[in-house]
Amino acid sequence: MKITYNWLKEFIENLENISPAEIAEKLTMSGTEVKKVYYLGENFKNLIIGRILSYEKHPNADKLSLCNVDIGKNLLNIVCGAKNFKDNDIVVVALEGAKIQDFVIKKSKIRGIFSEGMMCSEKELGISDESDGIMILNDSFKIGEDFASQAGLDDWVFELEITPNRPDCLSVAGIAREISALTGLKLKKQDYVSRYIVNKDEKLIIDIRDYDLCPRYSAKIFKSNDYPDTPLWMKNRLMQCDIRSVGLLVDLTNYVMLESGQPLHAFDLNKLYSRKIIIRKAKKEEKLLLIDGSEKILDENDLVIADEKGPVALAGIMGGKDTEINEETKEILLESANFNGVSIMKTSKKMGFRSEASNRFEKKLDPENTINAIGRFEELLCKICNIKSENTFYDNYLNAKRRRSIDLRVKRLNDFLGTGITAEKISEILNLLGFENNMGKEIITVEVPSFRFEDIEREVDLIEEVARIYGFDNIPVQTPRTVAKQGRYTDEQKLVRKIRNILNGMGLNEVINYSFIGKKDLLMFYLDKENDYKDYVKIINPLNEDFEIMRTSLIQSLVRNAKDNIFKKLNNIAIFEISKVFKSVKIDEKKKSIEKNTLGILLSGKSSLKSWDMQEKYFDYFDIKGLAESLLDIFYERNDFLVREHEYCFFHPSISGDIMLKNKKLGVIGKLHPKIINTLDIKQDIYLAEIDLDIFIDNISKEKEFRQISSFPPVNIDMAFIVDEEVKCQDIENEIILSAGRNLQNIRLFDLYRGKQLEDNKKSLAFSLEFNAIDKTLNEKDIELLIKKISGKLSKKFKAILRDQ
Amino acid sequence: MMKENIDDLKNILDKEFEDFKSAVKKVETLSGLENIENRFLGKKSLVSEYLKNMGTLSNEFKPIAGKTINDMRRKISERLSALKEEISLLEFDKKLRNEKYDISLPGRKIKTGSKNILNQIIEEIEEFFIGLGYEIAEGPEIETDYYNFEALNHPPDHPARSLHDTFFIDENILLRTHTSPVQIRYMEKHKPPVYVIAPGKTYRKDYDVTHTPMFTQIEGLAVDKDINFGNFKWTLETFVHAIFGRDRKIRFRPHYFPFTEPSAEVDVSCNMCKGSGCRICSYSGWLEILGAGMVDPNLYKFVDYNPEEVNGFAFGIGIERIAMLKYGINDLRMFFENDLRFLNQF
Repeated sequence: MKITYNWLKEFIENLENISPAEIAEKLTMSGTEVKKVYYLGENFKNLIIGRILSYEKHPNADKLSLCNVDIGKNLLNIVCGAKNFKDNDIVVVALEGAKIQDFVIKKSKIRGIFSEGMMCSEKELGISDESDGIMILNDSFKIGEDFASQAGLDDWVFELEITPNRPDCLSVAGIAREISALTGLKLKKQDYVSRYIVNKDEKLIIDIRDYDLCPRYSAKIFKSNDYPDTPLWMKNRLMQCDIRSVGLLVDLTNYVMLESGQPLHAFDLNKLYSRKIIIRKAKKEEKLLLIDGSEKILDENDLVIADEKGPVALAGIMGGKDTEINEETKEILLESANFNGVSIMKTSKKMGFRSEASNRFEKKLDPENTINAIGRFEELLCKICNIKSENTFYDNYLNAKRRRSIDLRVKRLNDFLGTGITAEKISEILNLLGFENNMGKEIITVEVPSFRFEDIEREVDLIEEVARIYGFDNIPVQTPRTVAKQGRYTDEQKLVRKIRNILNGMGLNEVINYSFIGKKDLLMFYLDKENDYKDYVKIINPLNEDFEIMRTSLIQSLVRNAKDNIFKKLNNIAIFEISKVFKSVKIDEKKKSIEKNTLGILLSGKSSLKSWDMQEKYFDYFDIKGLAESLLDIFYERNDFLVREHEYCFFHPSISGDIMLKNKKLGVIGKLHPKIINTLDIKQDIYLAEIDLDIFIDNISKEKEFRQISSFPPVNIDMAFIVDEEVKCQDIENEIILSAGRNLQNIRLFDLYRGKQLEDNKKSLAFSLEFNAIDKTLNEKDIELLIKKISGKLSKKFKAILRDQ
Repeated sequence: MMKENIDDLKNILDKEFEDFKSAVKKVETLSGLENIENRFLGKKSLVSEYLKNMGTLSNEFKPIAGKTINDMRRKISERLSALKEEISLLEFDKKLRNEKYDISLPGRKIKTGSKNILNQIIEEIEEFFIGLGYEIAEGPEIETDYYNFEALNHPPDHPARSLHDTFFIDENILLRTHTSPVQIRYMEKHKPPVYVIAPGKTYRKDYDVTHTPMFTQIEGLAVDKDINFGNFKWTLETFVHAIFGRDRKIRFRPHYFPFTEPSAEVDVSCNMCKGSGCRICSYSGWLEILGAGMVDPNLYKFVDYNPEEVNGFAFGIGIERIAMLKYGINDLRMFFENDLRFLNQF
């Protein structure tokens, strides 16, 4: 919201003693943030009021005139292209140095004649869109004076941010009240309420059907045979507040709304079908053509103003086209009403439309304020149109009690804030804010004024009022009493952070992606065909269709990261993400969403680049598997986990598996399906692993036990087995570990051979085994026994043949 | 033939030793030293000759001559072995020096990864608050209306709800718009004193240079006996100094949040212009970094705390905002584009 310094001066005595910058600082530091404060006159320098004494045709151009203009000190020759003036017209003259629409005026020759300035149109001055000829001013402007000060432009604009709890501050009057409280300067009283007597002649009947939706409807009828143009000063103020001038009556409603905070609406009285105004809920399917030309189909949730024929306005949001005022309008019905904020908010949300009025109503306005707005409107209208006030005021007001008194404990306030503010000071602050109060030594009884009735309900609300006017800066900083609690991470939190650090150490960059994906991402990865991924949680109002599904896997996001980087020629990618995935499950016939902490890893491109002493190497399946194994090795025993073949639609059918932990599925691992690679239009393989981090962490045993280290020398032996191609290496290895017993310290597959020396469909797996006993040196006999045992088991289970050493 | 005169013998041997000394002076290599050893101690050397002919000497002269010759022999031999060690060390050194090795060639680096900048900031903040006795809490990202709004003093149709552009799953289920619901969830399960922070992802329907539909917050909550506004100021001031440096000024600006009362926005002085006003801080000299306030006593009703017995404060910090200010990152969207050149910088 914007307001101006001069406007505030009309409400506060001696405000000129406080600079705009100082006011801005005080407002900001009391909760009304001033986003910007700027001087208007900056854009209106070197603009002088002048009078056209005479003019003649330009000797060298038919369409131009040569004018003789009096600017007080001297006479100027000005070449002008407009036609809408005559002798003695008062105009705005831009002198050398003036800035008109970013163009700086200079003395210059136009068609051979020297022009000593320029006469301006409203558009050129930025006052309105009127560009048809130069602006002609009325007699009230003094020749030779500065245009800016004459037109009320020698002023400062404050751009404010009003928090939703302070609808009373959506007005010049409300901000003036804040400034008065902050500075101690007195408010100029403007009392309209006592002037008004409700007319009971029933020439206008106001029928409120539901006081809950419309607690008050005040109205007054005005009549004038002539409505002059809006005064320039008012146009300018509206312009500063980003409201376009459209004609006196509408301008006045807007002006008074900005000033008082009370929205107004003017109906053309003679276009109303009846003199009975009904405030009611719309009927289903009822139609209303609005001022902006749109036709709305209403329902019972919308509040309308109606005459006996039908709706004439959408309450608090916009008037109807049929009763709109225009140039022919003589008699108006001015509405100053109070509507239920929630009802207005719902309708305006449904219509997807917010106006200055609806924005105010939504925040719950003070019904006591309706008369002030009518009074101010009348005051301005009578002056401008030179008409007399008549007794045409009508009012329907439930007059619900809007008074509340709250006890404020002085000790409670000071305990809460950590201050030692006296009862006198507290009482004074509250008085300045318009809260009448009765000061006791320990308890101050505070009367909440009507304009703060909605947001001041409790003692703590008053504490806030005192604190913000007293100044947060003036509340002393205090070291808290020592916290008798140990700050810490939980074990699970520590583990997640540890895993993150380990992966960083392994060379992976950590990414973070949006939690949502599009339906087409889901389909591209065939997740709709996978039971573990197909039940997703959907956003009903997504940003767009690329963001409508809560991801059930991190894989698509990681692949997207890979693709984006590859497109930027950043081809070598090793990334991971730890985030939640979301799944929809049915529990007792009800859909519920579950969240799982998940780790996703992606490798693609080169694992090492060619260098002066190394060959380049590309990531392959065994890199991602090794990574997963290394991570698992840190937390688990070697035979706690393994990778088992399992086909997933998004993986290469031969390179796709489950990571099993203690016989439960921990995650998936594999090579991204080449079909997907093709669809993505990238030219390199992608390897992926995804691990359920909750399972990973839950299964880690909390206590680690020390294993004795043998002081005897280890024995290393190599064993090679010939097996059928179908036999899995993992199974062989597991069997060796099982049958070798506790003395086996390490096992490593050091060779895999297929070829001439073997039959077809056979392979040789060569393991290096390290044995060590805790209590003795293993002798040849011990080793022989072990070899026999291992080879016996393998031969039995896998028909494995031990090769000669 | 040796004369049986001890002085003569000594003279001859002294001269021999002088010759030896001048011979070794020039020697630089082990082979040169071998030649000298041959010449002075070898079979044909004077010393060997004399010793060979000892039998021809008289019994009186024999022991004297023998001692004299052997002394000389030992002297030469000792000197030679000392020299041998010296020269072999020199030669070893020379050999090492001749090994050509360009230690300026690039080493075999191990590629290290990087922790995401947002998690780095979160951990930095976590460490600070753990130091003050806080715990870390977490909560669901898909929330109920109750925790996200209602229990945080946003009843249905509250105008402040319109400040949150909320993503809905259904009428009552939504993506949390802030980490504040964790406050309620934590208080439901724990009695005061409560000192907790809750980092996590949050969602709002907004997407431009200054908004992403997902962003990261850290919520903080302290509820205890005797907590006051001064403690609240101390905590956040200390926090700002820890994260941004002690030279930064801080101000508490009254604001409005439905779940705190009084509420404040906290600004830190702009580092670019040192408070004099620049484009970064919109010419105000201040940068807004977090929203906070004293816990509204209404919240205690939802979690069965007695508002007459405890007070508290709460705050919400935007992690991306902190990262942008700390590192001068100018586009919020960078955090979620995951460009490797961005990730590798931190």
